[in-house]
Amino acid sequence: MIDIDNVTKQFGEGAAAVQALRRVSLTIPEASFFTLLGPSGCGKTTLLRLIAGFELPTGGDIRLDGQSIGHLPPHHRPVNTVFQSYALFPHMTVARNIGFGLEMQGRKPSDVAATVNKMLTLVRMEEYAARRVDQLSGGQQQRVALARALAPHPKVLLLDEPLSALDLKLRKQMQGELKRLQAETGITFVFVTHDQGEALAMSDQIAVMSAGEVQQVGSPEAIYTRPRSAFVADFIGDTNIVPATLLRYEGGRAVIRFAQGPELCANAASDALAAGPVQVALRPETITLTDAADPAALMCGTVAESTYQGAATQLTVRLETGPEIRVEVTDPPSPGARVGIACDAAMLQVLAD
Amino acid sequence: MAAPGDIPQAGPALQRAQRDRARRRKRMRWGLLAPALVVIGIFGLAPLSIALVYSFLEPGTYGGVTWAFSPEAYVQFLFQRDIFDDTLGFNGAYLRIFGRSFGLALITMVGTLVLGFPVAYFIAARPEQQRNLWLFAVTLPFWTNLLIRTYSMMLIVRDEGFLNGALIWAGVINRPLSIIYTDGAVLLGLVYSYLPFMILPIYASLEKFDFRLLEAAHDLYASRVQMMRHVALPLTRPGIVAGCALVLIPALGAYITPELLGGGKKLMIGNMIALQFGSGRNWPFGSAAALILMSIVLIALLVSLRSGAKPEARHG
Ligand SMILES: Nc1ncnc2c1ncn2[C@@H]1O[C@H](COP(=O)(O)OP(=O)(O)OP(=O)(O)O)[C@@H](O)[C@H]1O
Ligand SMILES: [Mg+2]
Repeated sequence: MIDIDNVTKQFGEGAAAVQALRRVSLTIPEASFFTLLGPSGCGKTTLLRLIAGFELPTGGDIRLDGQSIGHLPPHHRPVNTVFQSYALFPHMTVARNIGFGLEMQGRKPSDVAATVNKMLTLVRMEEYAARRVDQLSGGQQQRVALARALAPHPKVLLLDEPLSALDLKLRKQMQGELKRLQAETGITFVFVTHDQGEALAMSDQIAVMSAGEVQQVGSPEAIYTRPRSAFVADFIGDTNIVPATLLRYEGGRAVIRFAQGPELCANAASDALAAGPVQVALRPETITLTDAADPAALMCGTVAESTYQGAATQLTVRLETGPEIRVEVTDPPSPGARVGIACDAAMLQVLAD
Repeated sequence: MAAPGDIPQAGPALQRAQRDRARRRKRMRWGLLAPALVVIGIFGLAPLSIALVYSFLEPGTYGGVTWAFSPEAYVQFLFQRDIFDDTLGFNGAYLRIFGRSFGLALITMVGTLVLGFPVAYFIAARPEQQRNLWLFAVTLPFWTNLLIRTYSMMLIVRDEGFLNGALIWAGVINRPLSIIYTDGAVLLGLVYSYLPFMILPIYASLEKFDFRLLEAAHDLYASRVQMMRHVALPLTRPGIVAGCALVLIPALGAYITPELLGGGKKLMIGNMIALQFGSGRNWPFGSAAALILMSIVLIALLVSLRSGAKPEARHG
């Protein structure tokens, strides 16, 4: 288990100072697949480098299984990294690359050889043991980098956008492979990506970051269906953010009303919002279209645009109150038609900010 | 459908065109090579051939050569002819000079490597905009003549020089150290003059070096020393080999530095060869010594290049 406790990281001094991380606190559970997700520059790599020991925190502490490791140099931490650029040693064979960590730990040559063979099997690279790494394809280098980092059996494996250099097909295949390796080895994986699809598909838990802060931590489902803020809702998947009025709380749920239609009991990201205008997240695929005069319709508008996408059709509906929202349906009405928007109240999420 | 092995033949016109083109290409290749070949011939092969021919002739009385074949120069390198009965006795004097020169040159090489590698590493680790400035600083001495730099070195190390002055002033010593005209002074001068030749090629390979590899090694439990030994050194080996060759070879033939800082008391190969063409009036022997030196260097270079070409030599 990794405890990131109030960690702050500042680069530079004075006017040129950059606050890369601001009071980040996270608990990464043992043997889980944990993903750091966020837009470019939000501090994902910085947090990973702090865990690896390439950088020291400006404030706060990092603990591994209760022991403080924030101040240790990288070679004294039971943590290994898969680098985005792979950083394989070009003067060594595949086997020696994989065995490097074990050799540096001073293991017996026979141990090293045995573990290297096991790792080669694990990443399905048995035939390539004697190859030079510059004679491998991108996907193969990726596997070697993985095997090299896994060989010393670290407590934590850090992966900084390891799939970003691969093409789509290989990427999908490696996603499955990574999941399998994590389950087989039982090592905690901390995975960095800015691809929300990848994060949803692979993670046990996701931490969404923005501008050096953690916005929300939770399971992929929780993050997707119960985003806390407009930022998270917008960053994960396609979403509509629609204004509504908060009337009161009832049994932990928020009672809201849209421009028209009945009062609804929606999920709320916070139970301490003041009654009045709020923002509600509404996923395009949870919306159903009805007649504009239907009493169940929460709002109504006209179809402005229709884009055929194969399995579904995406519509843009201009609401009578002004904003546009996106809707995904299988039997689209023609553009210009007046429609009512309906939605299961359980799919609505009142955002905290 | 064509039977297997039935390759369609080119028509006669096409064959003629192909032959013409091949001939033209060959002519062009030699035409382009010619200037380089002429330069190599005039400035490289011709002097060497002259030296080779002279080394097998007899010395003229007032310098120059007499046109009579004699292997005497090579014999003289190892043996001494008895004045009375003309028998040959072993003479190690010249071998000793060679040995001394090699020793000094090797120490110079190691010295420049030990000093030069960290400097090159330092420069390569600077931000890109700063590197050229540092490189300029390294090459700055080249703007001054070697002779002048060597005289300045004499000013620094002589008995009443800056170094002794400073040490006496600081109270470290009370009598001047006699540094000048010793092997130490020669070494100091050689290391000083050849240091840039070590720094520049090592810098060139460090500049291409991916410093992220060091991070990867550090992450994989390598200490700082192990990072250098297992990653930085093997990957910059071509630069190190080049630097060593660029220092060792000219250091072996160094003339000015041992002459001035060594006071010409103990000869190095360069001075010995110069002597043969000067007051020694033995041109054949000078030529022979130069050729022997060249052969030794050439063999050493081939061996080092061969070992440098195999980065994964000992690891299985
Ligand atoms: N060595 C450094 N010196 C100064 N600023 C830095 C340094 N490293 C990172 N930063 C800054 O810290 C912030 C976070 O950077 P970081 O590399 O952690 O982002 P990231 O989330 O990994 O982004 P990306 O998805 O583009 O890789 C950025 O504003 C970056 O400019
Ligand atoms: Mg990054």
